[in-house]
Amino acid sequence: MMINLHGYGPRLLDGALLTAELAVLSLLLALVIGLLVATAKLTRSGPLRAMGTLYTTVIRGVPDLVMMMLMVYGGQILMNMAVDHVNALIGTNAFIEFNPFAAGVVTLGIIYGAYMSETFRGAFLAVDSGQIEAARAYGMSGWLTFRRVRFPLMMRHALPGLNNNWMVLLKSTALVSIIGLSDMVHVADQATKATHRPFLFMVPVGLGYLAMTAISELIVRYLKRTFDVGFDGRQA
Amino acid sequence: MANTEIPLVVRDLHKQFNDTPVLEGLSLEAHEGDVITLIGASGSGKSTFLRCMNLLEVPDAGEVIVHGEPVAFQTRRGKREPADWRQVERIRARLSMVFQGFNLWAHMTLIGNVIEAPRHVLGLSKREAHERGMALLERVGLADRAGYFPAQLSGGQQQRGAIARALAMEPEVLLFDEPTSALDPELVGDVLKVMRELADEGRTMVVVTHEMDFARDVASQVMYLHAGRVEEAGPPSEVLVNPESARLQQFLGPRF
Repeated sequence: MMINLHGYGPRLLDGALLTAELAVLSLLLALVIGLLVATAKLTRSGPLRAMGTLYTTVIRGVPDLVMMMLMVYGGQILMNMAVDHVNALIGTNAFIEFNPFAAGVVTLGIIYGAYMSETFRGAFLAVDSGQIEAARAYGMSGWLTFRRVRFPLMMRHALPGLNNNWMVLLKSTALVSIIGLSDMVHVADQATKATHRPFLFMVPVGLGYLAMTAISELIVRYLKRTFDVGFDGRQA
Repeated sequence: MANTEIPLVVRDLHKQFNDTPVLEGLSLEAHEGDVITLIGASGSGKSTFLRCMNLLEVPDAGEVIVHGEPVAFQTRRGKREPADWRQVERIRARLSMVFQGFNLWAHMTLIGNVIEAPRHVLGLSKREAHERGMALLERVGLADRAGYFPAQLSGGQQQRGAIARALAMEPEVLLFDEPTSALDPELVGDVLKVMRELADEGRTMVVVTHEMDFARDVASQVMYLHAGRVEEAGPPSEVLVNPESARLQQFLGPRF
């Protein structure tokens, strides 16, 4: 049986691809921000800790939608101001156009970076400090200790929380339709308005998200096995 | 300078935790082949003293000199800290520590634990480190457990594995921080046996311990600490057999 998508099929697929790209790139940015902010919050430096706390408090306290709108309406203005400033400084006449895709990635990355940082922070605190101390006692540098001991031990504790954040992030990508990006929700919405067939378009979109989360569930399962090594009774 | 021959010298260490003095001028010289045991009640500062030797705790005052190389300190915002953490890392790699809680890396196999620092800190090839590691596991009686994770080993096996990990660095001094205190009594013997063998082959060791038999049989010097000071020190035949201080007599109990 063939479902007639009234010609919207290819655009829906493009939308799904955009959703996936947006989600994965935002995830990467959020993970980097989350790790950095978690590290900042765990240092002994007062100013770094305060900045980290300010960031997570503000971001987690403001709705995603408001953040996204700030980006839409404020993004170009802020960027123009910054570019003008640089222009005035070095005597050029440049103009950078607001890129909605990049803006979407940055906004989602900043929002979910805050949630990731809390997940990472808790996970770092859950690592047995004796194992970190052993690494230092054997002459490992801070970075080597992080790479070989702290990070892999931390990830076991972080994974469930990261997975949770990722699921919410994936679904939040739908917000980018308000900054003019044609993700799959946006395409389905337009198609529904044109054809008055909401089920025909929204059900496939829902299934699309489900397919993405199902795939990511497989990846998470693999990661769980990776980071559970030594803890789940499996032999090497 | 004759001093450069001495593997480990610490001089006049002072340390406070939140204004509570823990070390009040402790010194020690570990010559080649010395086995120095630090004994004392809990809170006497013996573990902190040991942990200052590889800079896991930074002493507020005093010197740490490894094979003639003094650790450089600086004072920043009123806090004393090593001037060069790279130097500290280099020195730590020459003083292997064995912990009370074993502290084997839980996500690595036993052999993985043993070859980790030789590979990544000393820069040995995987093959070289592996050969060295397997020989050491053989020696502590754990060759057949090389592929096990720490969680799959008994406490005694973990601690013997941790000793193999320490030896794999080919350290100039071995630091033991109450290595048998976390073990079930029936597992203590295996660990002590390995430590006696190490002493017999002339390893330089500093051992914080409650095992008086070990101190009596193996130590070249016993230091009894009380309230951050050395109350009595000397060869075990004197200190443990005819203790002068009343406190040490009480600490050792009626057995002596």
